[in-house]
Amino acid sequence: MTAMNMAGFPILTTILMTTIVGLLVIIFIPPEKTKLIKQVSLASASLGLVLCLWLYHAYDFQKGGLQFVERVLWVKSIGIYWFNGVDGINLPMMLLTSVVLFTGVWTMWELEHRVKEFFALMFLLVAGVYGVFMSMDLFWIFVWYDVSLFPMYPLIAIWGGTRKEYGAMKLTLYLLAGSAFILPAILFLWAKGGGHTFDLFMLQKIGFTPYVQNVAFLMLYLGFGILAAVWPFHTWSPVGHVAAPTAVSMIHAGVLMKLGAYGVLRIGMTLCPQGAVYWSHLMALLGTIGIIYGAIAGLGQTDLKYVIGYSSVSHMGIVGLGLATLSVNGINGAVFQMFAHGIMTALFFSSVGFIYDRTHTKIIPELGGLSKTMPVASSFFIFAALAGIGVPLMASFWAELLVLTAAVKAFPVAGILACMGMILSALFMLRVVQRTFYGEKNPRWEHIPDVSKFLAVPRVILMSCILFFGLFPKVMLDVIQSTVIPFVTRF
Amino acid sequence: MNSLSTYLIISALLFSLGLLGILQRRNLIGMLISVELLLNAANLNFMAYNRFLAPDPVVGQVITLFVMGLAAAEAAIGLSIILALYRKMHSINIEAAQKMKG
Amino acid sequence: MGAIFRDPVLFATVLGANLPFFTMAVILIFTRHNPRLSSQLSVGSIAVSAVCAISLLAKLFFAPALQYQTLWFVSGKLNIVFGYYLDPLSLLMLTIVGIIACLVQIYSLGYMAGDPGYSRYYAFQSLFAWAMMNMVIAGSMLQLFIFWEMVGLASYFLIGFYYEKWSASQAGKKAFVMNRVGDVGFFLGLILLLLGFGNLGIPELNHAASTHGLSQGLLTASALLIFCGVIGKSAQFPLLTWLPDAMEGPTPVSALLHSATMVAAGVYMFSRIFPFFSGSHDAMQFALVIGTVTMLLSSSMAMVTYDLKQVWAYSTVSQLGYMVMALASGGYFAGVFHLTTHAGFKALLFLCSGIFIHEFHTNDMRIIGKQGGRKLKIPMVCITVGALALAGVFPFSGFFSKEAILSVLAAQPNKIWFAAGLFGAVLTAYYSFRLIFHILLPMGGIEEKHHHDDHGGSSHEHEEEHHGYIFWAMAIPVMILAGVSLVLGFAEHPLEHFIMRSVNVPGELAAHGGAALQTVAHVAAEGAGHAHESGSPMLLILGVSAGLLGIFVAWLEYGRKGASRKGFLSHVPAIWKLFDLRWFMDVFYRKGLDTFMYAGLTSLFTLNDRRIIDGGIDGICIFTEGSGRLFSFLQSGMLQFNLLLMVLCAGAAVLYFVI
Repeated sequence: MTAMNMAGFPILTTILMTTIVGLLVIIFIPPEKTKLIKQVSLASASLGLVLCLWLYHAYDFQKGGLQFVERVLWVKSIGIYWFNGVDGINLPMMLLTSVVLFTGVWTMWELEHRVKEFFALMFLLVAGVYGVFMSMDLFWIFVWYDVSLFPMYPLIAIWGGTRKEYGAMKLTLYLLAGSAFILPAILFLWAKGGGHTFDLFMLQKIGFTPYVQNVAFLMLYLGFGILAAVWPFHTWSPVGHVAAPTAVSMIHAGVLMKLGAYGVLRIGMTLCPQGAVYWSHLMALLGTIGIIYGAIAGLGQTDLKYVIGYSSVSHMGIVGLGLATLSVNGINGAVFQMFAHGIMTALFFSSVGFIYDRTHTKIIPELGGLSKTMPVASSFFIFAALAGIGVPLMASFWAELLVLTAAVKAFPVAGILACMGMILSALFMLRVVQRTFYGEKNPRWEHIPDVSKFLAVPRVILMSCILFFGLFPKVMLDVIQSTVIPFVTRF
Repeated sequence: MNSLSTYLIISALLFSLGLLGILQRRNLIGMLISVELLLNAANLNFMAYNRFLAPDPVVGQVITLFVMGLAAAEAAIGLSIILALYRKMHSINIEAAQKMKG
Repeated sequence: MGAIFRDPVLFATVLGANLPFFTMAVILIFTRHNPRLSSQLSVGSIAVSAVCAISLLAKLFFAPALQYQTLWFVSGKLNIVFGYYLDPLSLLMLTIVGIIACLVQIYSLGYMAGDPGYSRYYAFQSLFAWAMMNMVIAGSMLQLFIFWEMVGLASYFLIGFYYEKWSASQAGKKAFVMNRVGDVGFFLGLILLLLGFGNLGIPELNHAASTHGLSQGLLTASALLIFCGVIGKSAQFPLLTWLPDAMEGPTPVSALLHSATMVAAGVYMFSRIFPFFSGSHDAMQFALVIGTVTMLLSSSMAMVTYDLKQVWAYSTVSQLGYMVMALASGGYFAGVFHLTTHAGFKALLFLCSGIFIHEFHTNDMRIIGKQGGRKLKIPMVCITVGALALAGVFPFSGFFSKEAILSVLAAQPNKIWFAAGLFGAVLTAYYSFRLIFHILLPMGGIEEKHHHDDHGGSSHEHEEEHHGYIFWAMAIPVMILAGVSLVLGFAEHPLEHFIMRSVNVPGELAAHGGAALQTVAHVAAEGAGHAHESGSPMLLILGVSAGLLGIFVAWLEYGRKGASRKGFLSHVPAIWKLFDLRWFMDVFYRKGLDTFMYAGLTSLFTLNDRRIIDGGIDGICIFTEGSGRLFSFLQSGMLQFNLLLMVLCAGAAVLYFVI
């Protein structure tokens, strides 16, 4: 109902504007007023969160399809539109972005080093992310995509930790290499579509020849796959995460990696359904390898963030496998997993960030026994680890259930191997939990205070998100499948 | 006298002067001025072609305006770079900047 | 929502099953720093749950099976239904869980008193109670699986309760991972069923299997896979070593989770979809083999350990093996009945041991005996009652259930299973009385010193008073359980009628359940002609004498005056070592994990990432950089030189194009 009343109001552009206006305001605040900068950041992030929540609430999943559409012709000669809209696939992603941004900003409350630049770049990054998710125009998707990549370099290189220059450079090069696949693919599709429109849905109606679809899909899959940490393009993920500061890791692993999977789904599978069918075995193979490989490689890591980086590889493998099944359950599960994993990794990085801020180390053998000194902070991490294992009644369980069900049906061998991944992920997560938090009280950390009530808030928000969608998956799945069911009919 | 070629010749002269200046002057300000000459040569070309070959849509004039705007921005940025350089090197000689070579 | 309040049965079910969850949340969030309040909340809520369970049992004793369900979500063609299924089996199990959980929590008031993690302990106990009760009354296999995992989670936390101890956290991890191994099989089985049959409702599944609604191949494959879950959870043969390690947890936890209820969940699940399993002869044979192997292996391990809790842990494994044997050979009631009695007497044994351990701060039965374990009259009497029940001596509850199982086994065409069962009974009696004699009649009498030391000192009076409260908190549950172990056996007939109640129940649901239970009755009748009334006197004599033989051997070696107190196995050190090291299973797993996983794949993959993938990428970078340097002589740093070059190139290009 409300959606009807608000039909004329450009809510999506407004959400995008919350970040851009936030960015502009921050630019004009003198750098020494750090408190004010943080307050402005938090205010604009929470405005975005509120708007996204409202959007989620107002989306009519019974009707499905694209809603809250804003469509203005921008450049006529080559057919670029300012075309935004939400459906069941990008709505959860929007919500995810706003939650992670909000909690990320709050997590960085104790930042003291070049505060202004940090938050400005972060908002630029998130503006790009919002833009990719809401845009339905290939040109804008690409522009926003690059907008979201660029700030990563300074964010990691300036505020980063271990081997920050190397990590930043590696990450940027990888992601730009991805861009180098995506841009030609987009232009190729644009040209094959007659060269007069970048509008996703107009291009969709054209219907490309199988050859065009196969080529374009492969390029898009590789390009976006790099960002989604598809094996073997995953090595930037652990290295980059280790180097990045907390909130950047949160946004990066929580949201940016989803951009990759989202791009494959939104551009690749929408425009090239035949290509997706053609390459689905490759996707399933790489996804399954990612699941197993990530978990096994993670077993040997000694740096907490490396561990989480590898767990992301493993969990994104589930997304890839789900997409590869090209079935309702698989894609439902994949989108749900994107959301669940986003929240979960944000919680992971947020709690590791806290531990690192206090102890100045994230080397597992140096830690140990943290449960004694910081029980609350430890419980955040343990909770995230349980979500990572796929304990039932947490959001990721349902996602994994759906994906694995679909996978066993579509690719029995891959599905069974992916199930084996569940054992490995349990071994891998519990090993980290045991070594970091259990054991004798470590005298070195004896005087470290536990997480304060104020700083606990963002983590608690993330935890309750995981629990809420774990207990009531219907809230999310109804929305997702309103779009996915018509979506899969074309395969 | 009032033909296209006149303007083209003038613009070519302007361009050559600018090129000469930019290649030969050691002074950064001088180089910046020479760049302006280059831009103006291009502007003159735009105006001339617009006037004599396609007078109806004033694209040439629009682009000239655009270039002028650009030139202003460029001059501002260029001058600020020169200023920064001067603060660092106490000279605006181009050779002083040579030590920035990687 | 309103339906919950209108229907008293539903209300009691929902309330009883879910109250502990809210208790857990409240404890973790609000009353963490108030251990007293936390424990009161927890005990109070579990008491409410137990009362709900008992009243449900009473109310629905003669009623047909009830099913409540609600559609939780839909994804594609997949309907995920949550609901409760209240039939005799689930009601019985619900009551067992409720009562034992309640008793154990009361016991813990004493046992855990003063522990720094008191609140945490009760939070996890509540988590367990919630998960277990929901699992028991789950209406679909998926829901059962979900809470099955949650129970595993609670077990992980409770085993690793003393997380400062490396061995405890290690044991928790081991339990979780080993359970996971089984659960993946379970999960795959469920997916197989979901894809092949499309419905995971328990009554539907049982109905389909008994009316041949499932193809034989699918049935066997999924039954075998689901049985993997039983292997993991109930610590059957290849995955049995986690359970003895799980004894690192506090003793009440061992009593509740790792003997009476949680590990019995595997057996419960087996009996829950018994008609489904019995549709596949191959799966049943497989289960029978696994059960037998487990029973014998773990009995052998129990014969050599001196650790009080380890003995009961191995014995739990072997009794679970017994139950699996019973179920796998068609003895539905025998298995369920043994599950019931075992829950009572094994909890009793653990709780009594807990009192000894609490008093003497050691798990070693020899030391407890020497320091005067038998002076603690109440636990001593109770532990003997428990051991008698375990050994299957008349009139204790274990006697009845063991007879029921033996009679089922005897009806198998192949007598080897019966022989194994009898042999197992001898071993059971032997190892349990080896323990009893160690404590009751210690070598060289009792050293008197200990007690004076313990109660000396200035705070004597205070300690005594404290001691009193603690002691009685522990003693009362123990006495109740001892009483139960005494009388439960005589309830065999009513229980049997209750559990086996079937066909003439009206309604559509009952048609499902009825058909399923008909199969049960059919299988059971075919298998054995159930329980002891049809068992021949020969069987009775064999069963009793097996138990007595075991006790006699134990008395010869440990009880009589001048006994060697060594055990006949000590003459063959190799076998002793084999049993003591759990048939080298742990060594095998550890080695396998270390060499294959950590030293093998993990380091290989890490190396691959660092050297090959990253190395390759870095190589490309170095190549790019190097080729850049090659041409860097052009980049002299002289701006004007560069410009000149540029102009010349442009000029050349212009010339080229013009000419």
